[in-house]
Amino acid sequence: MFPNRFEYLSPISLEETLSLLSNHRDEAKLLAGGLSLISLMKLRLANPKYLIDLGRIADLNYLRDDGDKFSVGALTTYAQIKESEPLRNKCPLLPQTASVVGDVQVRNRGTLGGSLAHADPHADMPAAILALEAELKAVGPSGARWIKADDFFITLFTTALAPDEVLTEIRVPALDGERSAYLKAARRPSDFAMVGVALRLKIGQDQTCEKIAIGVTGVTDKPYRGVGVEKALKGEKLTGKIIEEAAAQVTEGVDVIEDVNASKPFRSHLARLYTTRAIQSALQA
Amino acid sequence: MMKLDEILVTRNWVGKPVRRKEDIRLVKGEAAYVDDLNMDCYQAAILRSPYAHARIHKIDLTKAQALKGVVAVLTGQEVARETKPISARAITRPATQYVMAADKVRYVGEPVAAVVAEDRYIAEDALDLIEVEYEPLKPVVTIEDALKPDAPLVFEEAGSNVLMHDKMQHGDIEQAYREADLVLKENFKVHRYSSTPLEPWAIIANYERASDSFVVWSNDQQHGRSLTNVCNTLGIPIHKLRLIVPDIGGGFGIKLALWPYIVILSLLAKKVSKPVKWIQTRREHLLAGSHAPDANVEIELALKKDGRILGLRMTDIQNDGSFVHTAGIYGLIKFATMVGCYTIKAMGTELLSVVTNKAPTVQNRGVGKPTMIFVLERMVDIAAKKLGLDPVEIRLRNFVQPQQMPYTTPSGEIYESGDYPQCLKKALDLIGYEELKRHREEGRKKGKYIGIGISAGVEPGTSNLGYYYTARGTPEYTGNAEGAIVGIDYDGNVNVLLGSVDSGQGHATTTAQVVADMLGINPDQVSMNAHVDSLISPFLGHSGVYSNKFNDVDLGAVIMATKKIRDKMLRIASHALGVPEGELALREGKICSAKEEEKAITFREIASLAYKKILFLPEGEEPGLKAIAYYRNPIAKLPNRKDFNIQLTHANSVHVAVVEVDVQSGTVNFLKYGIVHDCGRQINPGIVEGMAIGSTVHGLGATLLEEFVYNEEGQPLSTTFMDYLKPLAMGVPKFELAHMESPCPYTLLGSKAVGEGGSLPSLAAIANAVEDALQPFGVKVTSLPITPEKVVRAVRETKEI
Amino acid sequence: MADSLGQAMRRIKLTINGRDFEHEVDSRLLLVHYLREKARLTGTHVGCDTGNCGACTVIFNGKAVKSCMILAVQANGAAITTIEGMAANGLHPIQESFMDKFAVQCGYCTPGMIMSAHGLLAENPNPSEKEIREAIEGNLCMCTGYQQIVEAISQAAKKIGRSEKTKP
Repeated sequence: MFPNRFEYLSPISLEETLSLLSNHRDEAKLLAGGLSLISLMKLRLANPKYLIDLGRIADLNYLRDDGDKFSVGALTTYAQIKESEPLRNKCPLLPQTASVVGDVQVRNRGTLGGSLAHADPHADMPAAILALEAELKAVGPSGARWIKADDFFITLFTTALAPDEVLTEIRVPALDGERSAYLKAARRPSDFAMVGVALRLKIGQDQTCEKIAIGVTGVTDKPYRGVGVEKALKGEKLTGKIIEEAAAQVTEGVDVIEDVNASKPFRSHLARLYTTRAIQSALQA
Repeated sequence: MMKLDEILVTRNWVGKPVRRKEDIRLVKGEAAYVDDLNMDCYQAAILRSPYAHARIHKIDLTKAQALKGVVAVLTGQEVARETKPISARAITRPATQYVMAADKVRYVGEPVAAVVAEDRYIAEDALDLIEVEYEPLKPVVTIEDALKPDAPLVFEEAGSNVLMHDKMQHGDIEQAYREADLVLKENFKVHRYSSTPLEPWAIIANYERASDSFVVWSNDQQHGRSLTNVCNTLGIPIHKLRLIVPDIGGGFGIKLALWPYIVILSLLAKKVSKPVKWIQTRREHLLAGSHAPDANVEIELALKKDGRILGLRMTDIQNDGSFVHTAGIYGLIKFATMVGCYTIKAMGTELLSVVTNKAPTVQNRGVGKPTMIFVLERMVDIAAKKLGLDPVEIRLRNFVQPQQMPYTTPSGEIYESGDYPQCLKKALDLIGYEELKRHREEGRKKGKYIGIGISAGVEPGTSNLGYYYTARGTPEYTGNAEGAIVGIDYDGNVNVLLGSVDSGQGHATTTAQVVADMLGINPDQVSMNAHVDSLISPFLGHSGVYSNKFNDVDLGAVIMATKKIRDKMLRIASHALGVPEGELALREGKICSAKEEEKAITFREIASLAYKKILFLPEGEEPGLKAIAYYRNPIAKLPNRKDFNIQLTHANSVHVAVVEVDVQSGTVNFLKYGIVHDCGRQINPGIVEGMAIGSTVHGLGATLLEEFVYNEEGQPLSTTFMDYLKPLAMGVPKFELAHMESPCPYTLLGSKAVGEGGSLPSLAAIANAVEDALQPFGVKVTSLPITPEKVVRAVRETKEI
Repeated sequence: MADSLGQAMRRIKLTINGRDFEHEVDSRLLLVHYLREKARLTGTHVGCDTGNCGACTVIFNGKAVKSCMILAVQANGAAITTIEGMAANGLHPIQESFMDKFAVQCGYCTPGMIMSAHGLLAENPNPSEKEIREAIEGNLCMCTGYQQIVEAISQAAKKIGRSEKTKP
């Protein structure tokens, strides 16, 4: 309940932030919405010597329609994403997912960038990001680079971001004519995902699955793409049987985690179930 | 005993949903919980054991003491030197335990040292600097482990981990078994959970050097006893501790166990020259702030083919954790209403209190009765199924009938009133039972699994203290009672000071309604300070807010004190007006001649005579207009193993839960939930309804969400509200309620227990509903909580939750 | 509050319930502790450690947030409304409704609930029961079982709808 001491730094520009990160590297932590980090600091599970607050940097919070893509500033809140009508029209999976993260107070403070950089294995947004095959912009001392969503999540609370990099933007595609859904198994509606499945799919003129991407969270040490399921469904007519058979592969080769809410077998079962249900939900959308 | 008409002169307020007086402060954020009190304090933090079972070899506080801002420290060694061990109540084996661990720790979270600093942040920093050398010992965590012959002992001196083992029989159980057509046996497992009040434990202790005495502010629910406990433990006379209880942010029994920390804070306060404050964090609360014990219950019903239950046998093993003060209590409370709503003539009880290296237990809302009703109502459903009877039919066949009231159970419990069959029928009507059964059948054809669960339960109130000495002998407390001071102030308004506190039940409003109708005035003219100050409040050893005693003895004391005042006012008025007392009436703040209303004297004028113009008082009449009364429940029996009433009023209810189970994900959703309850005369239906719903949600949480999980090392895994899951608004159904009022003949207003309410029958109702929903899969529910994983496993393979 | 190392102190300026506040605070001081101890506004409560109970809910730059998950230093320049600011012109309709509907028992969750309700009604003046429950999903109550709170918020919405809309 009472964080350890730290030095608080509140840069007003990205440049300043990068310079501070370079100086302090592993002794520093970036503060976005604070919902994950401050919680860990209160429990004294995180004890950074330097806390760099990104909250004063004006140009990290934006929603920009870029035609076939939509750019979301890293410090955009879940609430802003949820309420953005342009985003709802263009890339509904993102607001769909944001609207079931936590509760109102969480959504008013929590940020997309903060969630992704924190990489909690039970977080909701990473699943959507993977399904959207989003691109993430990391800015470091040597400039900016784009990281594909598939390459972003490494393991538990670890991303491809270097200690001196800041995640500044997430670019998602316009889901033109595509259907999408995010479903999660949680003990209570506002809880983290025991299992969460996000997906987008496109049904072609011939009623077969033209394109599909599935992001799974809560199942292992990091969110991942259900590539096996995608392969099994691409080009197929999505009947109940085919969906179920494909969904059965969602935990193939995955080291399923175990905790008080779900054992390995149960979690695997939920992963298959929610993959099936997410696909069906997307089809009915 | 006074009749209602003698007590109430008007019927304007009692029975009406009068807006609560307490609310205006609360909605404005102007409450006075302990942490809100404006005092310049030091802050304390407590170092807690990271091991479930370990010896303490060394403890080094030098670095902590050296930290700037730290002003005092305390270790268990000092506590063991300066204080007496924690008093035990129900257990029969020796077990020495101090309020802080000295040479051995017995649960993760047990206090090991304490620090006082300028602020809490610094105090917590200091904790990180304390070095303790532990020698970990093998812990015992489960009941099974604790009972093994070679089990490590939590208290070596006890020679066993079973600190209480008692057997009792009431009625002729052998004959019941001989006459029975069928004996059914089941084993049930209920988990650890807790009501977790939103305001955690809070204490401010101040030591007054000049008088060598303490002033303590705390949200203690049972100050009557805490005073004794704290003073005995500290070895100080009673008058050296002034205990003040301000607003309490929820109690539910959980704040009955905080007195050991008052001892710790007092010792800390003695070392410094400012008050010392300790506010328990949520983690501390979940770790070591007291749970309802987990239990293994074996139960047998001896039945006739037609469903009549002739006898009931129960072996109840409680995992009481490691707090000697409360160990053993649950079994006895459970046993009190073991026969439930039924005319079961014979009962055999075996109670065991087992200590383990789990957190302390305390009398959490319901104190075992949720478990008892769960076990009994499940058995009744299981029996119905076995005998091919409808669950409604078997209950109707066994219910105590209204014409049998007051009904004495085999163990001596007196059910004073109630119409259980009518309550059940009303609940079924409320929920639309017949329609629901059709809906359920249709659903089953479509792969929708709907279940209806019925649970009938007695909701007892007012504990006859002394029950916990049943196994031990001479009790230190008997019966139950409360005190009240009622006075008229100079302006003619009424003020009430009760011996007990409030933790959210609207005592001040309820009291004002009763007093208003006793004096023919308006509740706005009645003020009650619901705080307690041991210096001035009229308390007894029984005083506190627990076991739903308010409607019985608290109101009883208020009524008796108000009556004294009323009688005195009538005497004074009679003298002043020259009208015989018998011809006087109380009307709208005046006492007047019933025949000639203009012949009147206001309360204000009476007060003026009593307080100021005292020479105008009648001959022999004392000045002043304030009366104290202590009131005890009239039917409490002396502790006697053969015939004893542990609870003195008995409300009752029927809950009907209607759920739909998603058999693939294991989630349980509510379609409907109906409650029909009978708490005798309701004083304020708005307050009663709120508690009926809120208490039911406690049961919902306990059944589906909440669980204190421990691993094999005795490490608690549920230490935050992220892991210990409470019901939230989206997961709670809308409840439908109906009421009945079977007045209690033994309380002054005919009112009965309200408070524990729905937390008692709800576990059974929900469990019965889930089992009913899963009937096509042949699943039986014998344990709690009902988690999604357990549901799916049961449906697919184990057939048992 | 003392700062024993003499560092990590920051000056903050903010507005609470329309009043200006200025203090030197330890960087690690949580906003909820700042409100309670420095600003002496004790209506905002602490009920947990992990941002799960909502007893600390305040309106922060127009949005309902949990003040235990924000550092006081992050509130520099912010405009905050706490429960103490709700009765500026007599009791707010939400407060009245809570009293009418018996939505208060021990009162500990009440300020947080009222602030969440206030945040809801500013954005959604006519919420359904489902929307109300969603709006208070982040506010734990141990006493009421939520039903009467939901009824109170519903009634308040109608009351406010009949008069002027109030901005947080």
